[in-house]
Amino acid sequence: MKASKSNFLYPIMFTLIVTAVTIFLLAGINYLTADAIALNEETTLRSTILYVFNIDFPTGDAEKIEEIFNEHVKAKQVGEKTIYYIEEGDEIVAYAFPVDGVALWGSVKAYVAITADYSEILGMDFVSHSETPGLGGRISEDWFKEQFRGLKLEDREGGEYIIYRPAPGGNVDSISGATLTSKAIKDLLNNGIHEFITEQRGE
Amino acid sequence: MDKKKIKEIFKTGIWDDNPVIRQVIGICSSLAVTNLLINSLIMGLALTFVTAFSELTISLIRKFTPRHIRMVIQVLIISAFVIIVDIFLKAYYPEMSEALGPYVGLIITNCIIMGRCEAYAQSNPPISSFLDGIASGLGYTIVLLVIAFIRELFGFGTIFGIPVLGAWWTRWTIMVMPPSAFFIMGVIFWWARSKTEKKEEEKEGGKVTA
Repeated sequence: MKASKSNFLYPIMFTLIVTAVTIFLLAGINYLTADAIALNEETTLRSTILYVFNIDFPTGDAEKIEEIFNEHVKAKQVGEKTIYYIEEGDEIVAYAFPVDGVALWGSVKAYVAITADYSEILGMDFVSHSETPGLGGRISEDWFKEQFRGLKLEDREGGEYIIYRPAPGGNVDSISGATLTSKAIKDLLNNGIHEFITEQRGE
Repeated sequence: MDKKKIKEIFKTGIWDDNPVIRQVIGICSSLAVTNLLINSLIMGLALTFVTAFSELTISLIRKFTPRHIRMVIQVLIISAFVIIVDIFLKAYYPEMSEALGPYVGLIITNCIIMGRCEAYAQSNPPISSFLDGIASGLGYTIVLLVIAFIRELFGFGTIFGIPVLGAWWTRWTIMVMPPSAFFIMGVIFWWARSKTEKKEEEKEGGKVTA
């Protein structure tokens, strides 16, 4: 062993073997858990969509969520975005669409649901954000998100659908201590909704 | 392995040579994830797992590892275990994976793991290396939990997410932000040092008199 250890090839072979073993180990674990991870991600997305449409679902029950989701919600591809919608009879009554943007500390992904006549917000939820827990992070608390249910979209000038109180026309409370995050969220929701409605009307 | 040696390893890892308080390593994550107790607990457990198994593996192959590439091998093994933790959390604890975010991947840069691998596992048998990993991880976890307890209590008014202080409590914004961990950690260091000051003086051969 001593003699071979000083050999020029020994370190290379040794590293190769260790690398190969670790890679096989990781590949195996990755293969075994791939389905579980994919299901988790789908369940998270489905829960978000159901939440913004204000449809009740049992939290954490992946199968039940899938069942309810498939029963109510349909999806279609528009450009690069996937848009979800609910039909009643043959008529579309509501849309849910992704809204992306930048807040104080990083990118934010959210879904917004509105009625098909663009008159009302049904709900809003965040898929991912990186705001400070306890401050800007409170945007994902229920009291904040619930405020957006039933907001009227008509008669709002210049795409200002959401305005924080106490400004004139204010319809939502912002988070105290997280002014910049609140402002960023308001802007990205206003822009996202405005863009979606403009695109839909253009079609 | 007699009982005395096991006790010695744990005493060293948790108190005498506590990675955070004594060796002052693994500080970045101590500041980052300690705003909630549950995050700290999972982080501590993940780190304990990675440290223990990395030390075990490295100790097992230490006699075959060429000295000049040992660090490459260490990083390789540590990162493999970190990825295992990452996959495991994603598959079975998705909420936790989301809460810890990039910090799971950053466990690999935690100096405690490489420090213990280099300082201990490289020159000790597998079983005591494994125990050393657990002891160091526990030492880290305990400090994290103490900091998180104070931060969560004052910052959110909760313990492990359960409200204890009620609605009248005004949340201390500073406790939620990373700087508060600096202050709390400083106080913990101070307290721990003052407990052992005498011992160290004796070791160094008497007091310095002015």
